[in-house]
Amino acid sequence: MSPIIRFDRVSVIVHEKTILSDISFALFPGEKAVLCGKSGSGKSSVLRTLLGLHPIKSGTVYFQEQPLTPSSVQTVRSCTAYIGQEPMLGAESVREALLLPFQFKTHRDHKPTEAQLIEVLQRLHLPADILRQESSRISGGEKQRIALARGLLLGKKLYLLDEVTSALDAESKQAVFDVFSDPQLTVLSVAHDPEWLERCGIVFELEAGRLTQVKRNGNT
Amino acid sequence: METLDIALPRMALLYGLCLLPWLLLWLIGLRLSRDIGISILRMSIQLALVGIYLKMLFDLNHPWLNGLWILVMLLVADLSILRRAGLKARYFVLATFMAIASSILFSTAYLVILVIQPTHFYDARYIVPLAGMILGNCLQGNVIALERFYSALRKNENEYATFLMLGATRWEAVRPYFRDAVKAAINPTIAGMATMGLVSLPGMMTGQILGGSEPWLAVKYQIAIMICIFTSTTMACIINLKLSLNIAFNEFDVLRDEVIDKP
Repeated sequence: MSPIIRFDRVSVIVHEKTILSDISFALFPGEKAVLCGKSGSGKSSVLRTLLGLHPIKSGTVYFQEQPLTPSSVQTVRSCTAYIGQEPMLGAESVREALLLPFQFKTHRDHKPTEAQLIEVLQRLHLPADILRQESSRISGGEKQRIALARGLLLGKKLYLLDEVTSALDAESKQAVFDVFSDPQLTVLSVAHDPEWLERCGIVFELEAGRLTQVKRNGNT
Repeated sequence: METLDIALPRMALLYGLCLLPWLLLWLIGLRLSRDIGISILRMSIQLALVGIYLKMLFDLNHPWLNGLWILVMLLVADLSILRRAGLKARYFVLATFMAIASSILFSTAYLVILVIQPTHFYDARYIVPLAGMILGNCLQGNVIALERFYSALRKNENEYATFLMLGATRWEAVRPYFRDAVKAAINPTIAGMATMGLVSLPGMMTGQILGGSEPWLAVKYQIAIMICIFTSTTMACIINLKLSLNIAFNEFDVLRDEVIDKP
């Protein structure tokens, strides 16, 4: 089996500052990994680099063993769900936010039904009436779960999660853990939450843009 | 009917009127004497030079000379748009020039050749002031469009990235900011058309009436110029923004920092 993500000696410089230095690692389908380290160590930059949002100075990023190039970046983005600490929903109501990607040409023919919307909300312990609410009025934790629901509706297999459990209560956190217990889903996350770290099979430790340690928990 | 001349002593009297706002500003503590003085001086010198040049242009009425004058106006407008929109000229100068030149030349040619139909289409008395008026308004619209679009993109960088992550192409991801920018750019023209004649008498119409034209003729010219301003501003803003998309982003659809002038 070939890796879904592979960083091969990747260095990234942004505004003349080295933010990633000689990073190499691989992640296989179904694996759950977490990047940890101090603030500014380059954790979120790994996720952003994979999505083509940071210019690569040297080395190569591979997605499904294809190098990341201007022509392949669209494939990476359409196969990946990125959920940040304060996700942007990009629409006025929650329903519009969930349906937003289906306005784009790539997903236009796969618009979900009402039943599918409600089912995905239930999986994430969200009530059906949240669909009517304004995006700006829901909590940070709800926003994260709506962004996650959007990824599930799009049938994404790779999830890049930046501190997603930070705003969640115990019950919501459990719902998120349950979603990602699916062996078909691959996760590369940034987290400090000990519970999340424990559930992830691989822990990458970063320090000043360098990968200093890789720990395997052996439970994936 | 001849327009009454303003003799030099009465021009001096006119400049004296500026003392009133200057005094009022001084009384409320705004010390703008230097700025006001420089602005009035610049306006007077620039207009005097334009007056001399236009007189020469009208007397010669040569197609190449008229074309050259329009080219100079377009180049000055091009650089002015980019400076005021906070974009670096070395990246966008050609795109903006193409956008404003195509829209101005199209609408001016449409107006002069198809609608007004003077003996010579290049007649300086028509082509130079009409192109100038259309360009002046188009310039403001383009400054608003570019400034609004790129500020919105920088302000909503995460939202833009989210759209890309959700499978949007670059065009699909920028479309909300694109529409807002075009709307902001053409709104003053639309509002101006809706209130024209009620709130104020437009400058061109006033000029023509003072110049001795029949009010009805002045009205027809004013309608013509407003339609051309609306057409060219809309066209130029859309073409300009569209062309700039190929310059302002890198191949991964990320906005390039180096194209924006740091405040």
